[in-house]
Amino acid sequence: MTTVIVGAGMAASRLAQELPDVTVLGDEAHPPYNRILLSAVLEGTHSPDALALGVPDGVDLRLGTRVVEIHREEREVELADRSRVGYDRLVLATGSIPTLPPIRGLVRMDGRLHEKVHAFRTLDDCRRLEREVRHARNAVVVGGGLLGLQVARALSVRGLATEVVEGGEHLLRSQVDAKAGAILARDLKRLGTTVYTGARAVRLDDRGLTLDNGYLLETDLVVLTAGGRPSTALARRAGLDVRRGIVVDHHLRTSDERIHAIGDCAQHGGQVTGFVPPAWEQAGLLARHLAGEDVSYDGARTVARLRATDLDVAVLGDPERADGQVVEVTNPVIGSHRKLVVRDGVIVAATLVGDLSRIGQITQHYDRGTVLGPREPGDLLMADRVATPVELSDDAEVCACAGVSAGRVRACASLDDVRTTTRATTGCGGCAPAVRQLLATRTLEGTNR
Amino acid sequence: MTKTHCPYCSLQCGMSLERAGRELEVQPWAEFPVNEGALCRKGWTATGLRGHRERLTTPLVRDRATGELRAAGWEEALDLVAGRLRDLRSSYGADAVAVFGGGGLTNEKAYQLGKLARVALGTSQVDYNGRWCMSSAASASNRAFGIDRGLPFPLADIEHTDVLVLVGSNLVETMPPAARHLDRLRENGGHVVVIDPRRTPTADRADTFLQPVPGTDLPIALGLLHLLDAAGAVDEEYVAARTTGWEDVRRAAASWWPERVERVTGVDAAQLRDMGTLLAGAAKVTVLTARGAEQHAQGTDTVLAWIDVALALGMPGRPNAGYGCLTGQGNGQGGREHGQKADQLPGYRMIDDPVAREHVARVWGVPVESVPGKGRSAYELLDALGTDGGPKALLVFGSNIVVSAPNATHVRSRLDDLDLLVVSDIVLSETAAIADVVLPVTQWAEETGTMTNLEGRVILRQQAVAPPEGVRSDLDVMAGLAARLGHDFATDPEEVFAELGRASAGGRADYSEITYDRIREEHGVFWAGPRLFAEAFAHDDGRARFVAVEHRGPAEPVDAAYPLHLTTGRVLAQYQSGAQTRRVRELPDDGPFVELHPMLAQRIGAYDGEPVVITTRRGELKAPARVVDTIRPDTVFVPFHWVGANRLTNDALDPSSRMPEFKVCACAVTMVVSRLGAGAPRTSTTDAPVEVRAKRASKPAQARA
Repeated sequence: MTTVIVGAGMAASRLAQELPDVTVLGDEAHPPYNRILLSAVLEGTHSPDALALGVPDGVDLRLGTRVVEIHREEREVELADRSRVGYDRLVLATGSIPTLPPIRGLVRMDGRLHEKVHAFRTLDDCRRLEREVRHARNAVVVGGGLLGLQVARALSVRGLATEVVEGGEHLLRSQVDAKAGAILARDLKRLGTTVYTGARAVRLDDRGLTLDNGYLLETDLVVLTAGGRPSTALARRAGLDVRRGIVVDHHLRTSDERIHAIGDCAQHGGQVTGFVPPAWEQAGLLARHLAGEDVSYDGARTVARLRATDLDVAVLGDPERADGQVVEVTNPVIGSHRKLVVRDGVIVAATLVGDLSRIGQITQHYDRGTVLGPREPGDLLMADRVATPVELSDDAEVCACAGVSAGRVRACASLDDVRTTTRATTGCGGCAPAVRQLLATRTLEGTNR
Repeated sequence: MTKTHCPYCSLQCGMSLERAGRELEVQPWAEFPVNEGALCRKGWTATGLRGHRERLTTPLVRDRATGELRAAGWEEALDLVAGRLRDLRSSYGADAVAVFGGGGLTNEKAYQLGKLARVALGTSQVDYNGRWCMSSAASASNRAFGIDRGLPFPLADIEHTDVLVLVGSNLVETMPPAARHLDRLRENGGHVVVIDPRRTPTADRADTFLQPVPGTDLPIALGLLHLLDAAGAVDEEYVAARTTGWEDVRRAAASWWPERVERVTGVDAAQLRDMGTLLAGAAKVTVLTARGAEQHAQGTDTVLAWIDVALALGMPGRPNAGYGCLTGQGNGQGGREHGQKADQLPGYRMIDDPVAREHVARVWGVPVESVPGKGRSAYELLDALGTDGGPKALLVFGSNIVVSAPNATHVRSRLDDLDLLVVSDIVLSETAAIADVVLPVTQWAEETGTMTNLEGRVILRQQAVAPPEGVRSDLDVMAGLAARLGHDFATDPEEVFAELGRASAGGRADYSEITYDRIREEHGVFWAGPRLFAEAFAHDDGRARFVAVEHRGPAEPVDAAYPLHLTTGRVLAQYQSGAQTRRVRELPDDGPFVELHPMLAQRIGAYDGEPVVITTRRGELKAPARVVDTIRPDTVFVPFHWVGANRLTNDALDPSSRMPEFKVCACAVTMVVSRLGAGAPRTSTTDAPVEVRAKRASKPAQARA
């Protein structure tokens, strides 16, 4: 059975790793790479050479290949050069494409973007921007979502005076509430990045970027991160059921049973995800389904993590819309805001900003649907209690290697005495500090307890 | 005064045995370099089994009429066993008889046991409990380096490394005298990293502690490889000159960015990044794995991933750096080198290698075609007992299967279906107690023989006292059986060792140059020398292999019915199945317990010291709760020295090492409701505070960095 995958992004490469006899048609010139690390490459903390994702030997990987048409009757896809590739199964993993905000002057008369303007979606985008960063002094990032904040931090770490423009009332507005957004804005400000919220960029010209509140931001670079939309044109032309994304069922099947869709381009149960983990989950599940296993997809639990230096954000599920009781701890003094949405003892969503302690534990509970006790959500948001030193009773064991109690140590005259009569401290040596402390206390008090 | 070694773990601490009247006393042997005179309480009390009232001094045979064991003479017992074995073999073929050995047997016994199976019994069905010890590390080392020696350098070398990473090792409790090297490393300015789901006493002495979900050590390694590559910290020169396979590993690691690792392992991305930075900046890094990383259905892959980390940093073969495995059992290393493994012949030769077969057959003086091929691995062997086509008889030497095998209820049912179970032991262990014939044998201070410790150092245990009347050595027992089956086996350990040397000559683990005299003079002799890999690895091309691996996760993931991870392990004062240590009066024997976090205790309404029931798909165990804040809240821990823990564990096997997944399975824990109704009911709905057990007293509580 021949499987053809349209797209060579992260979802496609994962599927290709798990299926035999696969043809991958990618329109970028690069073999599959890890797209979500591009902001780290821009920041300079991730080597661009360490981005490549594996494609197993035997996969027919065709790069720089754009698919222009699906001929469902013939079970063939047509490429830009008019050649055709036949399939038994077709998987659309076309990802998403950045949306251009309605800013005058963004697109030049010849249809190309203004020379200061950069998208940030592909490795080529990243390289182009990286080249500019070297001699630019300042930058404006349009969009205060996860990608926008990552790019803003990256540019700032690279030494550019960076400003963020967000049309909504606060940062990360599709993920977190206003309190969290405000804390993030303050963190960014502390890190030297100016944030404009509730402001829309309306015009770009040689002076700079003008906002709808009249501000003019002089800038060398404008980076567009304000959203993307599922890339569905191919599916739409082929007459598949497309709403926001390409509609798929619990087998990730489109309205044509020989065509599947995974990743950012797919819409399942009314949801389009836009994150890698669900895309990989879909790829894994589709591989098993195509191999004949009885598996079905029932939607993803998403954990969105900001990957940016000195900004701590994690969003589990959809905390602003999830149904449940909210347990939250906000400390504006230190800039932390953490909130768990709990339903029937299960964490169904969470926001963690400014303090990620126990993130690993909270994520485990969320992913596994652990039923917690009534006090646990609160305890998870509390700091560890600091243990206080305890006065050891005479029968408390001090040395586990030799089985020596505090009383027997107290009865000794010196460390040498302890060593020869009890053998404490001679095994693993871990009790030495405690033994010294016991001896010291005994001498000071002058008693022989 | 007799110089010998401790009867327990793989450190094989040197000790001196002195007679004081009728007593035998343990004294330090300060010159022996591994432990420099230090011992733990197990070593100090090792003579406690001498003259013990439960010591077996006569063979026992199960009476057909009463079903009870009764005393028998040696001739009667051995005749009976040999006769039944002959009958079973003629009815069902040679593979109807199986042999099960142990990682605590001396090299001489391990060698002789393999020979007993292949020469006297003609069976391919021989394996041993070492499969449940370091087999995953062994198969990983063979793949990566072309050779399997637990530590390819002396343990003391770690004192001079810069960063020591302990993956799933609690050496402070499992081999306490080894902790001296840890402390000296830190005094030298080195940095210790411990990775464990429990904050053990070893973790308390580390500078960095990562606490992952059980069964996720592998993605931590992948995450570190990702970070090292991203930071340009891979030793490209070393990789190019001394290894193959890096590109595949690099591509596998590209998809393990820290936040993804965090989600799978429960270890904060920030902590992982810090560790990546630490490794990237260190000149000398040593990675050591132990059972925590290895006893998994993906144990081999986990070790391979950590070897990949060491190789990416360019460490193996460099002084005071590299990768090693901390073997567990006393002779875990030597036990696997001399032929009690189903797929190997003496000298770490593969049984399907025609040249190896030819060589060993010549030493044994038998036709090469009479040497059986590969048999079943330990768990598969036990699983087949008493089934159609499976063995009908089992001879057990140095293993207490009923306590130590995974999915123990099932294994017990297999043992019950045998026509003949013969157990050779020093006391009536849980396995001996269900045997048809029990043969009483000598113990450590009563016999001489070599062991190979975790460093590959061959050491000599020397006889200090005469055995009790009526007791024979395992070598005698094997020779007795062999004689009845028409074969002449030596019984003198030094003679057997010389034969072992000839059989191993030219093999991977070549003992032919080692003699008892040399061992005495040199404080042990390393086979193949103290340090390996300085010039080349053992593969034909001299290069180490990077092996790309992917994380599959535990064979039994947690779910709504069994929402917690169960992990098992050891406590300081007990050893393995406890057949010896539970009988030593001076060692505390509090029975099994269930370690759980205060948050979990509160959730289920458990109180410290009061019983809880832990349930898995395979069995249940009732034991007191021990509420500690040193364990992950989603994980519980049970020590395995007592009957019960292994009724819970999963028998999923590693595809390569055939190691069962002892270290993680899904479980549920519930509080036991008192039936007496005395006192106030303690239920999960009350708001009562949970008592947290006082932290270990040996360490000031605020000392953690």
